[in-house]
Amino acid sequence: MHIAEGYLPPLHAAAWGVASAPFVVHGVRALTREVKANPDSTLLLGASGAFTFVLSALKIPSVTGSCSHPTGTGLGAILFRPPIMAVLGTITLLFQALLLAHGGLTTLGANVFSMAVVGPWAGYAVYRLLRRFEVPLMVSVFFGAFVADLSTYCVTSMQLALAFPDPGSGVPGALAKFGGIFAVTQLPLAVSEGLLTVLVMRLLSRSSKGELTRLGVLVAGEKKEATVR
Amino acid sequence: MLPIDAAAHSSRWRRRHPCEKAVLGLGLTVTAVCLPPWPGAVLVAAATLTVLLGPAGVAPRRLWRAFRVPLGFCFTGAVPLLFAVGGPDGLVALAPSGPADAVRLLLRTSAASLGVLLFAFTTPVSDVLPRLVKAGVPPAVVDVALVMYRISFLLLDAVGNVRQAQAARLGHTSRAAAWRSLAGLGATAFVRAFDRASRLQAGLAGRGYDGTLRVMVPPATVSRPFLFAVAALLSGIVFATLTLERYVL
Repeated sequence: MHIAEGYLPPLHAAAWGVASAPFVVHGVRALTREVKANPDSTLLLGASGAFTFVLSALKIPSVTGSCSHPTGTGLGAILFRPPIMAVLGTITLLFQALLLAHGGLTTLGANVFSMAVVGPWAGYAVYRLLRRFEVPLMVSVFFGAFVADLSTYCVTSMQLALAFPDPGSGVPGALAKFGGIFAVTQLPLAVSEGLLTVLVMRLLSRSSKGELTRLGVLVAGEKKEATVR
Repeated sequence: MLPIDAAAHSSRWRRRHPCEKAVLGLGLTVTAVCLPPWPGAVLVAAATLTVLLGPAGVAPRRLWRAFRVPLGFCFTGAVPLLFAVGGPDGLVALAPSGPADAVRLLLRTSAASLGVLLFAFTTPVSDVLPRLVKAGVPPAVVDVALVMYRISFLLLDAVGNVRQAQAARLGHTSRAAAWRSLAGLGATAFVRAFDRASRLQAGLAGRGYDGTLRVMVPPATVSRPFLFAVAALLSGIVFATLTLERYVL
């Protein structure tokens, strides 16, 4: 869910921009270090960003009858790590605002915070935690993508509630209102995105083992696990 | 190619410096966000539409096709403001100030979206990205964005072809088939993206790639009269808004 251009009051738009900035700067430093150490990675990172952009253009069938698109933040964070995703997500959101009129420039900071910072970090944290407890790869991938998607929408609800408090019950009421609206569509969509991410990862573990190993998603032992499944 | 980018490449203002168009488009957007929606956003929207359809020469049909996307988001985004939750009137009730708030939000988001569309319809992303280095963005990030921009179109094209092929093979006839097709589409996009990157890498290595992507940027100079005109337009809108709000409305 992208917050549309002009939707947030100026102070909120600026505040979310400031909140996102340290994460994006951290990601830019990580990306610059990576490119300096290995100049060829520019092309792979560009390809990864393009994949994220295209992923967000795919339509997921929803149980409510409508369609929506995956955020791609969970898969992106698992494949490329959250700091890199902060940069790739920011560029993707910029492209979406300029090429698709989706999202906006004044709301870029808020969208970056929910989709390129909180989503990837929350999803990746859950994924790593489950992997540490030796939960099977595909189960970890599902919960990583599920949490990434859901946390993105929770943060978006919070951003909207802070910007537009309910006249009667204030921010908590507005949070219940926006969260309630999103929950109807987003809980099924988060499950859908989790399932889709597992299906994509299963196909990738068969067709692109080399890339997944190079990205650190698969190690020698897990290759076998993924192949057996 | 995406419709907005295609229109930007053939825009009447293509040769203008991106900085001029950024000051105009983003200036109008910021003005719409900062001024009171009534009458500020209405004045901004009127001025932006006049520039878009007049001097910038954007076709009305193309503009409408692009504008209806954010307009849809504006409408759906304004609906929750019509309701109040947990107040004295019950769990969910119509908010007394809801319609006025929703209209104000609708005006602000519509006018701000038009400002961004003015920039997007006249400035190809490929003209903006290489110039970001001068604005202080690290070259490594700009290079990654340039590669992203170029590969995205190829990938979108490939995904469109794969989707057509899946549909022709009855890949969308049932829910299970649609899920299988969708997963295949995502995986294919990943494989194609990395395949394209490795081919690009091989091609660049053969041309002495040293880690820097050099692209030719069309020469353009910043026009001071244009910037003065923009400053006059924005000041005029602010002045008119404040005057109308204080003395007329």
